[in-house]
Amino acid sequence: MGASLNLKSFKATTLKPLHINPLKLSQPMGATLAFLGIKNCMPLMHGAQGCASFTKVLFTRHFNDPIAIQTTAVNDITAVIDGGEKGISEAIENITKKVTPDLVGLFTTGMTETKGDDIKGATLLLKEKQKMVYVHTPDFEGGLESGWSLSVQAIISQLIAPTTECKHDKVLLIPNVNLSPIEVEKLKEALELFDFDVLALPDLSDSLDGHLGVKQGALSSGGISVADIEKLGNAGLIISIGHSVKKCGELFKEKFAQSTHLHFDSLMGLEACDAFYAKIIEYTGSKSVPNTVKRWRARLQDVLLDTHFVIGKSNIVIADEPDSVYAMSKALQEVGANIKAFIAQRSPIQEHFTCDIAVGDFEDVEYALDGAQMLIANFHGERIAHKHHKALIIRGFPNYEQVGIGLRHNILYEGSCHFLCEVNNLLGHH
Amino acid sequence: MVNTKLIKDLLNESACSHNKTKKSSCDKPKPGATSGGCAFEGAQISLFPYADAVHLVHGPDTCLGASWETRATLTSYEGENNTPLGYCTNVTTQDIIFGGDKKLGEALAYIIEHKKPKAIFVYETCVTAMIGDNIDYTCKCAEEQFGIPIVVVHSPGFVGSKNLGSRLAGEAVLDALIGKKEPENVHPFGINLIGDYNVTGDMWQYKPILERIGIKVVATLSGDGRIEDIQCAHTAKLNVIVCAKSLVTLCRKMQERFNIPYVSVSFYGKRDTSNAIRSIVNAFGDAELIAKAEAIIAEEEAKLEERLRPYHVMLKGKKAILNTGGNKSWSIASALQDIGIEVVATSIQKATEEDIAIAQTYVPIVFKSPATEQPRLIDEHKVDILLAGGRSLYTAIKKRIAFVDVNQEKKVSYGAYGGLENLAIDVCAALHNPVFKLVGRSAPWEQA
Repeated sequence: MGASLNLKSFKATTLKPLHINPLKLSQPMGATLAFLGIKNCMPLMHGAQGCASFTKVLFTRHFNDPIAIQTTAVNDITAVIDGGEKGISEAIENITKKVTPDLVGLFTTGMTETKGDDIKGATLLLKEKQKMVYVHTPDFEGGLESGWSLSVQAIISQLIAPTTECKHDKVLLIPNVNLSPIEVEKLKEALELFDFDVLALPDLSDSLDGHLGVKQGALSSGGISVADIEKLGNAGLIISIGHSVKKCGELFKEKFAQSTHLHFDSLMGLEACDAFYAKIIEYTGSKSVPNTVKRWRARLQDVLLDTHFVIGKSNIVIADEPDSVYAMSKALQEVGANIKAFIAQRSPIQEHFTCDIAVGDFEDVEYALDGAQMLIANFHGERIAHKHHKALIIRGFPNYEQVGIGLRHNILYEGSCHFLCEVNNLLGHH
Repeated sequence: MVNTKLIKDLLNESACSHNKTKKSSCDKPKPGATSGGCAFEGAQISLFPYADAVHLVHGPDTCLGASWETRATLTSYEGENNTPLGYCTNVTTQDIIFGGDKKLGEALAYIIEHKKPKAIFVYETCVTAMIGDNIDYTCKCAEEQFGIPIVVVHSPGFVGSKNLGSRLAGEAVLDALIGKKEPENVHPFGINLIGDYNVTGDMWQYKPILERIGIKVVATLSGDGRIEDIQCAHTAKLNVIVCAKSLVTLCRKMQERFNIPYVSVSFYGKRDTSNAIRSIVNAFGDAELIAKAEAIIAEEEAKLEERLRPYHVMLKGKKAILNTGGNKSWSIASALQDIGIEVVATSIQKATEEDIAIAQTYVPIVFKSPATEQPRLIDEHKVDILLAGGRSLYTAIKKRIAFVDVNQEKKVSYGAYGGLENLAIDVCAALHNPVFKLVGRSAPWEQA
């Protein structure tokens, strides 16, 4: 070993060399959620047992519902001598002893990416035994949003059967990871009003919406079926919501050139919703929208006016995943709020923000609270909001404190009303 | 570096009861059929309650991102409480290619400059173990330059289970901290509390009682713990293991090194709490101390009985089934019996052989596979209430019986005399809540 490290000299570094109270969640966790939106699926995390265990505990506490997940339980010996296929095939054998999944979603972690396992090869070897989708999601890159998006891309490229058929009234909806289960359902219903046949991929609306199931399943309890995914190729319209899943829509369009791809960065606030309906009308060629849409738009107009007194004078700090922060900040800026935004990791959506924005952790968030009245962040924001006597709205993962998270509706004209009223009322009481 | 010989020794711990009969050591986890946390989590659970130390996780984000601020381990530390905070080097692709040592050094320097902790624990994780970061060297340099203990915990997730990780944490504390400081005076009845993390304040339910008897808690591993105290832990006269099999190796080694004997106790329920106090004072063998303890036990039990009287009336004749893990399979059973409930059966699916043996002394039926046996036992014995982890809720609803979640994420303490009243309150509330019978009723459009 050479000369002693002089650590005191490191003080000069301007960039913070660590995360203090991280905002970021990992790619494999995003992948887990994506696979939970597929019916009878078993998410299989390729890593040490702890990665899957932490993920399971976090989502179980967040959704207050059982979470299906298994692990290849790589240990210190197999980490060195196994290229992945032994652990993966053993895992498949042990899983299929107990349950019969329609699909196993295999995804990696930092450790198995560091050793460079060949998961594609392992999946091919097991082809006869179990239908699988594989995806690389090291946790030293990206985050929750990219893990979800990469999984959706893997599902699109590996599962959907080739076709040249095109059904113009069949919609493939690709939500981003931040949309709640009920928001996915509301969105499906909103599109069904236009006589579309809608399938969401992934679809958390009947798997993690917190319904009382008949039995305690070891697999995902609902979602889009594998058979439906395989037949998605003839969908005429692809709608992606949130910048993190834009690529998924583009990939689909590349594969099935006969389809139309509509992308929306956000569905919160008047402008975003107007843009959504404008494109839908354009696609369908209809001149009008159903009455209920018109009524909710008028209500949102009224809510915008009613809430602008309070929200318009407020300073709000938002910290969450990039797509979620983007949507909320845009909606709040429509009524004049002054926003400071923190996102969990870098994202191309950064350039489209119209407020102060930085990639950060909760230490940065805490410093930014000075002069703000409200913090919007995940459960970890609670302690600092209390400490500095700020109003708090919990959004994002995890939320250990509250119930009914799967039922929260904050998108489209209707959900935007609920969101703005909630912010207004809390600010007014604080 | 991960010490493979130490890990092997820890898995073959001679003080573990199962290692007397089993030829092989504790099993490796099975791919595709594994639940429960990894060694890193075990180490984290064991050491995070030291609120005056910073806990720096050297690895990518998953290890800490999903696990910080998850356990309600309370502390009375008046400085900045580091227990609910998360520090992580956030290793990225760049670090994996070029090595993470520099980042670790910078992180340590940043923490010392901005946080001024009493010590820093550095946790190795799978990725940093694999890329071969020389964590020991970096931390040794930092320790010399900054003059505070920097303790490396070699417990990457892939070496094994949560239990093993907690053993490795114990080893790290033993090597780096215990015996490094001498206290001003040595108490004749000084003890260390080992394995109680003061979740929801469990430890505070019984610590004041011990102090009233005349016992001094020298150090804890690690509920409401302090670095300076654990450095003096070698001056205690007795190690008290509280509901934790994993730290038995540490206690055995402290016995060998510092001649400190150990006792293993549980503070769940009235009888176990009283017995725990008796084990402690008997270990000292001081007649005056024993007499004082008996007086205080009598006083506490009488006070508790008075408070429990209304619950006894409500709970009389009620039958329960318990489905939980480890020592809780008998300790909560004992607590339930103390509030007048008949415990028909308890699950031993996740219990050690020693726990099973103890469970059998408390409960007539022990069962291994809850999925099949639980519903049958509920019917056969006309059980009124099921106490289990969240997964069993559906069984209770299907059988239309009351349910109490006895998970570690619980929000109130069930520990010692005071906690028993909390348990009684929760059980009574569940038994009298109409929701369990209501929620499962058939819909108007279904055939009954």
